[in-house]
Amino acid sequence: MKQYLYIEMDNCIGCRSCLAACTQCGGHDQRNRNYVYDVNPLVDRQTIPLMCLHCVNPACARSCPAQAIQITAEGAVLSALVEKCIGCQNCTIACPYGIPKFDEAQNLMYKCDLCYDRTKEGIPPMCASVCPTNTLQWVTEDELSMKKEQHRLGKWMSSREPFDPLEGETNVKISLPGILQGKQKLF
Amino acid sequence: MLKDEFFRTIANKQHPNEALVPTHCSYCGMQCGMNLRVDKSTNKIIGVEPRYDWPVTLGKMCPKGVTAYQQTNHDDRLLRPLIRDNPQLKGTKDGFREASWEEAYELIVRKFQGLQSQYGKDSLSVFSGVSMTNEKCYLTGKFARVALQTRYIDYNGRFCMSSAAAGFMRTFGVDRGSTLPWTDLHQTDCLFIAGSNTAECHPTSMFRVWEVQNRGGYLIVADPRETPLARRADIHLDLRPGTDLALANCMVNLLIQNGYADKEFVSAHTNGFDEMAEVVKAFTPEYTSEITGVAVEKLIRAAEIYGKAPEAIVMFARGIEQQQKGTDNVSGYTNMCLVTGKIGRPKSGVATFTGQGNGQGGREHGQKADALPGYRKITNPKHVEEVCKVWGIKPEEMPQPGVSAYEMFELMLNKTIRGMYLLCSNPAVSAPNQHTVRAALKELDFMVCSDLYLSESCEFADVVLPTTSWSEDEGTVTNLEGRIIKINKAQEPLGESKPDWQIHVELAERLGRGQYFSHLKTAREVADEFRLASKGGYADYYGATWDKIDKQDGVFWPCKSEEDPGTPYMFLDKKFYHGDGKALLCALPYRPPAEEPCGEYPLRLTTGRVVYHYLSGNQTRRIPFLNDMCPEPYVEVHPETAEQYGIEHEEVVRLYTRRGEVFYKVKLTQAIRPDTVFVPYHFGHDLSINLLTIAALDPISRMPEFKVCAAQIDKATEKSSRRSQ
Repeated sequence: MKQYLYIEMDNCIGCRSCLAACTQCGGHDQRNRNYVYDVNPLVDRQTIPLMCLHCVNPACARSCPAQAIQITAEGAVLSALVEKCIGCQNCTIACPYGIPKFDEAQNLMYKCDLCYDRTKEGIPPMCASVCPTNTLQWVTEDELSMKKEQHRLGKWMSSREPFDPLEGETNVKISLPGILQGKQKLF
Repeated sequence: MLKDEFFRTIANKQHPNEALVPTHCSYCGMQCGMNLRVDKSTNKIIGVEPRYDWPVTLGKMCPKGVTAYQQTNHDDRLLRPLIRDNPQLKGTKDGFREASWEEAYELIVRKFQGLQSQYGKDSLSVFSGVSMTNEKCYLTGKFARVALQTRYIDYNGRFCMSSAAAGFMRTFGVDRGSTLPWTDLHQTDCLFIAGSNTAECHPTSMFRVWEVQNRGGYLIVADPRETPLARRADIHLDLRPGTDLALANCMVNLLIQNGYADKEFVSAHTNGFDEMAEVVKAFTPEYTSEITGVAVEKLIRAAEIYGKAPEAIVMFARGIEQQQKGTDNVSGYTNMCLVTGKIGRPKSGVATFTGQGNGQGGREHGQKADALPGYRKITNPKHVEEVCKVWGIKPEEMPQPGVSAYEMFELMLNKTIRGMYLLCSNPAVSAPNQHTVRAALKELDFMVCSDLYLSESCEFADVVLPTTSWSEDEGTVTNLEGRIIKINKAQEPLGESKPDWQIHVELAERLGRGQYFSHLKTAREVADEFRLASKGGYADYYGATWDKIDKQDGVFWPCKSEEDPGTPYMFLDKKFYHGDGKALLCALPYRPPAEEPCGEYPLRLTTGRVVYHYLSGNQTRRIPFLNDMCPEPYVEVHPETAEQYGIEHEEVVRLYTRRGEVFYKVKLTQAIRPDTVFVPYHFGHDLSINLLTIAALDPISRMPEFKVCAAQIDKATEKSSRRSQ
């Protein structure tokens, strides 16, 4: 049964338990791979997690000259393979969300792998497991449809795509690193 | 849609060459389920896994819970007893040397016996805590009364749960923190939460809180700050600190005026309605708005929502309880449930968010100045007789009641108390009016402190005993629901550390009282004696065997026999615990906080927690992740107020009250009332906000008024901020 990481930003209380738990996955070298931001730090207590969105056609993987970033059959975009990563950091520049992190000492990119060693066994990722507020949830297709239905009940739409309020597809196009590669020098 | 059943089916992640030990968190009253990862080759705790099948928390943990395991093998752990020979160094970390247990015990016994022979039995005191198992809490009470034979024992619950306890006792005749299981929270139609920063202090309640709104239910929050909980409330009653009783009386008044009172319930199951109604009558929305600063429309709407809700739960925490009228606030808000009859059934009732891990169990079994196991009273001859039978002493040997935690410090200053045995608590950070508390600790002729780290309070001790962490011993804890649960041992004690119950037994033997203690060789043996000692009391644990706890996912007290499954719901039969079976609707005239703002001190100072720290921070400040997230205290100030004072974000300011001054960085936020400032209390030494708090005690619960006093802010001059360094 395919399950999804589902994020309900409204619920976030900024406890950063998802970050603490990320270090505990086992395959994560005790380093957290995601982010929590204060939206209006001097105004209110609204916070939001920024997790890897595991893009369908991920910029990080597309930008990798060494094919070090694998995408699993389930769609999890993995951390760079140690043996392939050349440390060029294309991925960290390419990702529009700023997800991949870079370890200078190891010359290696690392990022959220959706706790693949867990999720492939049907165990939810650590962040969604511990999240005390259900900001991060691990849900089935059916549950996703229910969430969509719930959105449709609203009088107003927060999304520009009212019939697919949970999608993250964007209208902005982002250039991968390397646009100047073919540019002929002037002299 | 909480998918409780789904969570039960999730397998635990298995790591090679590791074992998982199911247990609960070491910190707050939520007691979240967790699995500790133990390396099979070193037999050491190395990590944590979610415990998906724990029905209360479904695997969820806050950042404290996730990192709790890092306490056990922490570099700061005390591994051997420490002795300080030079009392001049009291109040510092210096001068300690390692010693053997025998040497430490010998010194303690010699000093304790010396003080008692010179100044009487009551010259010694025990100051305890409730971040430990029921077994340890129980034995601490017995140790004080039977081994030391002193009347002076009290505990840090006096700074935490004592107002809730006293309020519930007065209203219901029994004090169980929640009248219903936490698994009911998300099924109710309205949560009325007063004085609880639930999102930061009990984060794993939050998925149930948000689920109430997901289902279309209402969330009403009373808090001076727009906490992460209040941010999403349907109604945020942004009251001035210290004005809760007016708000509660107003709610009850509006419920009565607008026909939401359940007259049948009131007449059949309560006393005191007329007197109470007479008092609340004055609390019109307009008058209440003047006192509390909350808009009239919000007051009216809040009462309407609570009144209309088919099912509703009133909840509160330290915000309303840590006031010198905390007991009245508890009874006042509880009146809402009783007037409307929304209690004694599933999905409706009242609950307090228990602060400490065993704040519930630890207050029931005889660590309190006037309490004996099973929530018995030391002033009740029948109760004394029952406990004496279990302990094997004569009733005339039972010491008199003592005094409350803060009052013990006053007795140290006047030399009534000359020795102290401090365990599981860090009053040199957590007690109010620190100047007095620290002076009192220095005044002691001899002090023993038992802790797993060298806490700020250890700095005043002559002998420090290394105790185990929660993960190196087993026993029971009673969570915030009143559910007795089992803490399991995941590794052997580090170094020479010992569990507190064992220290009690070994010290008692050396004090010549071994006949009452020597039979207790394991935690389970302490548990068996403790169950027996609680038998027949209000908080009857007799039937809560460890096997039953395992089998049933915990046992709710009272649980009177082996056959009794326990009591998840209180008052289902609408029988309260007063003699006539009725609850008391308390008539509670309003009184302002002990210190109202004035020209010299125009601001209201309130204190509380952040999500990254627990209590005095003795544990959490040592955990790298948590300390990185919140390394130092700060003062939250509204931008309007900051503008008046000409201070900026992150600027260091002098915050002062009639008791002292502290220097903090300013954190600007619109999420606080402009007339109020907030400081988290988890920090020690010069950074402790309790240098400023007031020791005004509730007349019934003896709870200090941590939550409000009058304060003022100055721009810190170069001279003044240097003084703080």
